[in-house]
Amino acid sequence: MTNIRKLTALTRAGIIEALQFRLGTIVTLLGNLIYLALVYYLWKAIYASSGMDVVNGMTFYDTMIYLVLATAMFNLLEVFVIWDMSRSIQSGEIIMHLLKPMRYRLYTFWSYSGSHVISFFLTFLPTFVLVFIITKGAIPLGMNLVYFVLSLILALMINYNVEMLVAPICLYTESTWGVNIVKETIVLLLSGATIPLSFFPEGIRKVVEYLPFRAIYDIPLSILLGKAGKSSIGSVGGCLCIQIFWIVLLSIFGNLFWNRAVKKITVNGG
Amino acid sequence: MYNCSLAYNILINIKTSKCFCGKCDSVTRRIIMTDKAIVMKNVSKEFKVLNRHEGLKGSLRDLFSRDYKSIMAVNNVSLTVDKGEIVGYLGPNGAGKSTTIKMMTGVLEPSSGEILVNGLVPYRERTKNSESIGVVFGQRSQLWWALPLIESFKLLRDIYLIPQKDYDDMLDLYRSLVDIEPIINKPVRQMSLGQRTLSDILAAFLHNPGIVFLDEPTIGLDVSMKSRIRDLIKGLNEVKGTTVILTTHDMGDVDALCRRIVIIDDGQKIYDNDIDHLKTYFGSYRTLKMRLSDDTWIEKEIDESRTDVMQEILSAQKEKGVRDIRLEEISTEEVIRKIYEGEKSA
Repeated sequence: MTNIRKLTALTRAGIIEALQFRLGTIVTLLGNLIYLALVYYLWKAIYASSGMDVVNGMTFYDTMIYLVLATAMFNLLEVFVIWDMSRSIQSGEIIMHLLKPMRYRLYTFWSYSGSHVISFFLTFLPTFVLVFIITKGAIPLGMNLVYFVLSLILALMINYNVEMLVAPICLYTESTWGVNIVKETIVLLLSGATIPLSFFPEGIRKVVEYLPFRAIYDIPLSILLGKAGKSSIGSVGGCLCIQIFWIVLLSIFGNLFWNRAVKKITVNGG
Repeated sequence: MYNCSLAYNILINIKTSKCFCGKCDSVTRRIIMTDKAIVMKNVSKEFKVLNRHEGLKGSLRDLFSRDYKSIMAVNNVSLTVDKGEIVGYLGPNGAGKSTTIKMMTGVLEPSSGEILVNGLVPYRERTKNSESIGVVFGQRSQLWWALPLIESFKLLRDIYLIPQKDYDDMLDLYRSLVDIEPIINKPVRQMSLGQRTLSDILAAFLHNPGIVFLDEPTIGLDVSMKSRIRDLIKGLNEVKGTTVILTTHDMGDVDALCRRIVIIDDGQKIYDNDIDHLKTYFGSYRTLKMRLSDDTWIEKEIDESRTDVMQEILSAQKEKGVRDIRLEEISTEEVIRKIYEGEKSA
């Protein structure tokens, strides 16, 4: 049984480490502003050209709130498992991680946890407060916030599991860049992080419903915006169950794949 | 239960003794763990590498090639290390030292043979094995780059679940052995190579592991830092009884630390004995230096098992007249060089 002390120690170290790079946070916030300005004008043009106030059941206002929060979530969820793993495999640094008295997947996850905590408080929370003030209460305040935090943590785990499922591919391809870009694009598009899922054509939306990516951005945001329980999204409890289902499934496959891949290091020496 | 194998039998002896009273038949059985830190039996490691071809055409061909050749990095090595020993594990570059160390730590799986480290099969129970070993790989660091050293120590304390008291005692011990004050609050990325290596060694010993593997720990360090690191390793070995496996190319390390040395070359063990025996490996060599009457020094390497030193001096005295004599022990470095070169040409 893994001692909780091991895990919180890694979180703590991650927080201290993240705080050493204050400048990085400011740069991230600035980058977000530029990205959001782009998104604002793009969608403004889309709504203007459609000539309607409500497109696919969402007003311009709804879309903007959704996308701003999705961007903030993206900063929060962003991990560099694929980069870090491939770099440490190439440099041989990975043996230092393999020689920690913890299982590698667990160790890596908790090593990142501190930076998630920091970006929650330094980027997500300020963005949320800002959106809340500007939209003057378009976001309901209530139990949905509690469910959202829960769902956010689950989303974090799904996202990490997707990364951990993809990362060992680098052991076979020896190229990281391509693998990473493909993963990034698929996740951002199919999760609803760049375009709200309700804008997808009916057929594709049906397919996306059965993929894990929706559970990373769309489910937490729907819960936060109070859309869960209404319309087609399903109840809050159902949403959380879907997320847990994906975590279990992805971590089983991730574990199997990782155990196979790590043999490549231990048998061939990387 | 781990299936009884040859290696396991070495590690555990079951002693049966009859009751002292001599009247009854009761028998006590005791399991005695012998003092073996590491047991390796006929361990080999084979790597498969693709036969690469030259040029563009060759590279294209390599894409579809199934032409693998296998390299025996470690070939049938058996080795037993007692608890508390410092063993110098030597060999020329590419001899298979690091491969052996990696197999002992569990990050490499041997192709054949058996390894037991602290009674565990390292590659099967890598995580568990990691709890009772410490590792320093020369150019790598296990410390957290951006954090001050003390934070890395605290993190290791929690990851290895070291009780606070043991942790404090260990830091006190460190303070008594080296001056850690200048580095303890310094972020690792701002450290010099010497300070970083020192820190890494301290980190490897922090959880008081039974065995510490040091793979070229003094590489690239200045003379004074080297001697501080040697003192530290020696001190920790004496106080804590830690088994140390040390690979190095610096014979100063070997002379300062190791009683026993193991030499491998081309994956095969070619020497395993005391350092004192090493000097007689090629016979008892000494260097005889003589200053002759014409004020020139001549140097002769003498094998005392075959030639008599006095005879040499006498004959030189008769021929040219000897003004001064110096007799020098052959250095470890020279013997090792001879061994490496001898094995290559053989």
